[in-house]
Amino acid sequence: MSKKPPEPVRPRGLFTEPEPRSAVMTRGALKKWARRDFLLFGAGAAAAAMGFWWLLPDGAADNDLPRGAIDALDTTAARLGLTKDRRERFLNRSLTFDDDVAEALYSRDRSVRTYSKSDVTPLRNNYNGATPRADSLADWKLKVSGLASGKTELFSLEDLNSRFPLHEQVTRLICVEGWSAVAWWGGLRFADFLAAYPPAPGAKWAGIESGVNLDIDGNSDPYYVSIDLETARHRQTLLATQFNGKPLPLEHGAPLRLLVPMKLGLKNIKAITEIEYSAEQPDDYWAKRGYSKYDGL
Amino acid sequence: MAARADTLRGSGGPGAGVRIVFQHHALVRLTHWLNVPLLAGMIVSGLAIYWAAPVFEHAANPNTGSTDYLADLSVWIVRHVPGAAGYPRPTSWIYDHFSIGPGQLALALRLHWFFAYLFMANGLLYLIGLLAGGGYKALLPRRADLKQALAMQRYYLGVIPAKLLRRPWPHPVVTTKYNALQRAAYFVIPLCAALAVLSGWAMHKPVPLHWLERLFVNYNGARAVHFLMMVVLAAFVIPHVILVFADGWDTFRSMITGWSTRTRESRHE
Repeated sequence: MSKKPPEPVRPRGLFTEPEPRSAVMTRGALKKWARRDFLLFGAGAAAAAMGFWWLLPDGAADNDLPRGAIDALDTTAARLGLTKDRRERFLNRSLTFDDDVAEALYSRDRSVRTYSKSDVTPLRNNYNGATPRADSLADWKLKVSGLASGKTELFSLEDLNSRFPLHEQVTRLICVEGWSAVAWWGGLRFADFLAAYPPAPGAKWAGIESGVNLDIDGNSDPYYVSIDLETARHRQTLLATQFNGKPLPLEHGAPLRLLVPMKLGLKNIKAITEIEYSAEQPDDYWAKRGYSKYDGL
Repeated sequence: MAARADTLRGSGGPGAGVRIVFQHHALVRLTHWLNVPLLAGMIVSGLAIYWAAPVFEHAANPNTGSTDYLADLSVWIVRHVPGAAGYPRPTSWIYDHFSIGPGQLALALRLHWFFAYLFMANGLLYLIGLLAGGGYKALLPRRADLKQALAMQRYYLGVIPAKLLRRPWPHPVVTTKYNALQRAAYFVIPLCAALAVLSGWAMHKPVPLHWLERLFVNYNGARAVHFLMMVVLAAFVIPHVILVFADGWDTFRSMITGWSTRTRESRHE
């Protein structure tokens, strides 16, 4: 029997670096091992590269790769069944996964951070198209349907101001693009409005529309969002009528806009003309253009 | 260094014994390489999101029309880097080459969430691998690190001139898995990645995670940290790759196979 050399003393501790584990292997066995691992590595790298190519939008690499390489990659992706259709479904799923995570984190009892009036920062006119003209709002009325009464109600701005208490809050409006602004708002609580004019039983959603919204050329382009009624009933969700202590200016959604500071700016619809309660989730203007329908902050 | 020659390629038949040391746990190797596509995905989508509303912005430059510093850097590149000269949209050179492109916000957001969840899962696997293999012990800072870090910097600064002048330039004696500079880098970079994740959550969900937003002072604080951590992680890749090349084949192979033929004895002759 051969004598084993004494084991080296290894410092064992949570934080002490031990002597490395070592072994003696034959050159042939090591070469085989290395070959296997390098093949695995190569296969993994090729799969990752292909997946990456599939996820990138068409034209993303036009500045970086020669035409021939782009065509070859496209052909390979198509042969593997990595179609554009599948990409869209896959990426939409990653969006709804993120929304599910957000919904799990969310609590309706949590308040959005409020600021003092001295923290207010400039808020730009972020109408995606032209700003609605004053004359289009001259005989403005808010139309509300899907009510428990079964009726369609019309409200003037005076109706809303006189029947509901005014609440003020200074909160941050955060745009999906990444910019944000602290602004001072005033208006009625959506919760008070829902209590006074309850939706039909079974309603879970409010579909809110701005029929006066315009596209960039000034043509009619109605804007619409969906809000779940639980979010609508949050105490910081306002139907805002005031900005900086004055009536809402046109660029910020005169005469009435939604203020949901727990949702991205794109849910904070301006120049509301209609609210309809429903059991099924209504459409969202930007969701049709590839954005989330949830948009929770 | 001659002592670093690969013993697998030395003399002796396929049956000859070679001593190897185990360097990296399988999970550490897997997650190390997964970082390459995941970080690339985070950056190409992240820059396209950043394009929509840059956090580092300024008043419009009357000459270029640029309102953000990354666009300024693009203009500088188009003016001074020969390969980029004459580019038709100078302010978006960086966005055109290192992101999925301007005007792709909706797609960029979906890609960013997809890569972000994988990146976080990958980070967790990496931590599990570090704990399971005890590899974290080689990354912890220690008392003699500052002195050794200075010695290593001196070594790196002088190694090329010394080679050119054919003067001996011995590698500082390192008795641990990593030298002090490596240890500092491999300790700090995962922390930067964690900071990137935390600042990302702070701006993604500032209502439920309001405490996290406060940790970065405010919303734009989180955005600034998120951007800077991207720069740190991207910049780290450059010396990382150069030094692996300089260190040699054994180092590269050890991140794929897990073992190295560089035992402590063969290392420091």
